[in-house]
Amino acid sequence: MRIVILGFGAVGQGVAHVISLKKDYLQRKYDLNPQIVAVTDSSGAAINPEGLDEELLLNTKTEKGKISSYPDYGVPGVDSLKVLDEVEYDCLVEVTPTDIDDGEPARSHIIKAMENGKDVVTSNKGPLALSFKDLDDCAKLNNVEFKFEASVGGAMPIINFAHETLAGCSIESIYGILNGTTNYILSRMANEGSSYEQTLKEAQEMGIAETNPYQDVEGIDAACKIVILANSVLNLPVTLKDVEVEGISRITSESIALAKKEGMLIKLIGEASPDALEVSPRLVRQGSPFAVEGTLNVATLKTDLADDVTVVGKGAGSVETASAILSDMVNIWKKRK
Amino acid sequence: MRFNLVLDLPDVPGQLLEVLEPMGRLGANIVAVIHQRDVKTERGTVPVQITIEGDKETLDKVMGALESKDIHIIEVDGVLRKEQITTVLIGDIVEEDLQDTVAQLNQLKGVRVADLDLKMSDKEGNSATKMVMEANSGLKKEVLKNVKELGAKKGFLVINEV
Repeated sequence: MRIVILGFGAVGQGVAHVISLKKDYLQRKYDLNPQIVAVTDSSGAAINPEGLDEELLLNTKTEKGKISSYPDYGVPGVDSLKVLDEVEYDCLVEVTPTDIDDGEPARSHIIKAMENGKDVVTSNKGPLALSFKDLDDCAKLNNVEFKFEASVGGAMPIINFAHETLAGCSIESIYGILNGTTNYILSRMANEGSSYEQTLKEAQEMGIAETNPYQDVEGIDAACKIVILANSVLNLPVTLKDVEVEGISRITSESIALAKKEGMLIKLIGEASPDALEVSPRLVRQGSPFAVEGTLNVATLKTDLADDVTVVGKGAGSVETASAILSDMVNIWKKRK
Repeated sequence: MRFNLVLDLPDVPGQLLEVLEPMGRLGANIVAVIHQRDVKTERGTVPVQITIEGDKETLDKVMGALESKDIHIIEVDGVLRKEQITTVLIGDIVEEDLQDTVAQLNQLKGVRVADLDLKMSDKEGNSATKMVMEANSGLKKEVLKNVKELGAKKGFLVINEV
């Protein structure tokens, strides 16, 4: 299986790392030999039809900061779309930075690959939250596989889980904690009694919250994920603008203390149901499945036959997110074989 | 047939009699009364368990009589009659007329604010209140919607249960 990785940040590097790590395993278990034939970042690309070396890719990026410095096969300044035109490959792994205004450049990358008859795996929330239906239609029209497990909840299985493991159930609604940063902040505020501002600052110092935390704390990131779940699991043709969003920046330590008196915690919950499409701070019972701490993600699927099913997992992290991408790749391989 | 009831009574003289009177008058047979004044709820009320016996018609009449007397029935045969709904509001709680907030929530039939807790903040517009509402079962969705609308009107951040 020849792979092109567009974007070589934390997730892209995670993908190279897990491919290198699991080579023997994939060969033995699935007779799968993933070959990375091209990688791009903002500096350009590294291209080798015979396959690039994963460790060398990672070392080049760490030491030189640019993938185009890859020895012998580096191509500075080349455009990603051009790479997709010129390189022979089977599967695109689209992991460029998320853009929630127009979903670019990921959207164009994905469409181009599909129109060329290639399968696509992505963790990119932007294009999915803005134009899910277009992408889904495009995949069907071109008869290609389109998988995006890593876009929601990182390593927490939910999309494939809903489609495959719960294939016999109708899923009526989904509730979940879909953003690790806000869950960390709210958990710390509940445990330490600290203020929102102070806790956010601490999270930033620890690298859990970004310097510009807007998309996380105002619920935008979680809203993107709820849109993806609404579309892919509940078949609701919605986009980001349909979500009612309230973040956690107005949450005070006083309100958390009051909730605790009643045996409850405040969590940022995404809901996709026939009644609502929203992200908002909600009360959950201490000891309930939603009372997870730290950066964990959790989601409950309400089904007709199996009642409530809850999954918990790591919502972020390079290798964790890459694990979901690798699983998507394996599933595509099994189908194509 | 039999009904096992759990009632929630204020801890003042005469309350138990008030409950037993319609039962006797309407012809229901009182099988058991468990009344422990030292077991109180957080709000200081006393839960009382009563088992009554009679035909369906009589028992229905008794339930009707209790309800018309505004006696607070928590449970019938192990099934909760009332749901507790907790909500937390953040905003200008006091300035936006707390009494009016409670009155508006009580307006919905079958709903009453049973408990209220207020925490002032040193920052303006940031005080918080926790309310526990009791509602007839089946009303939860409507109550949550009502709270949300009220919050939007008064500029509160509403934190409802999942």
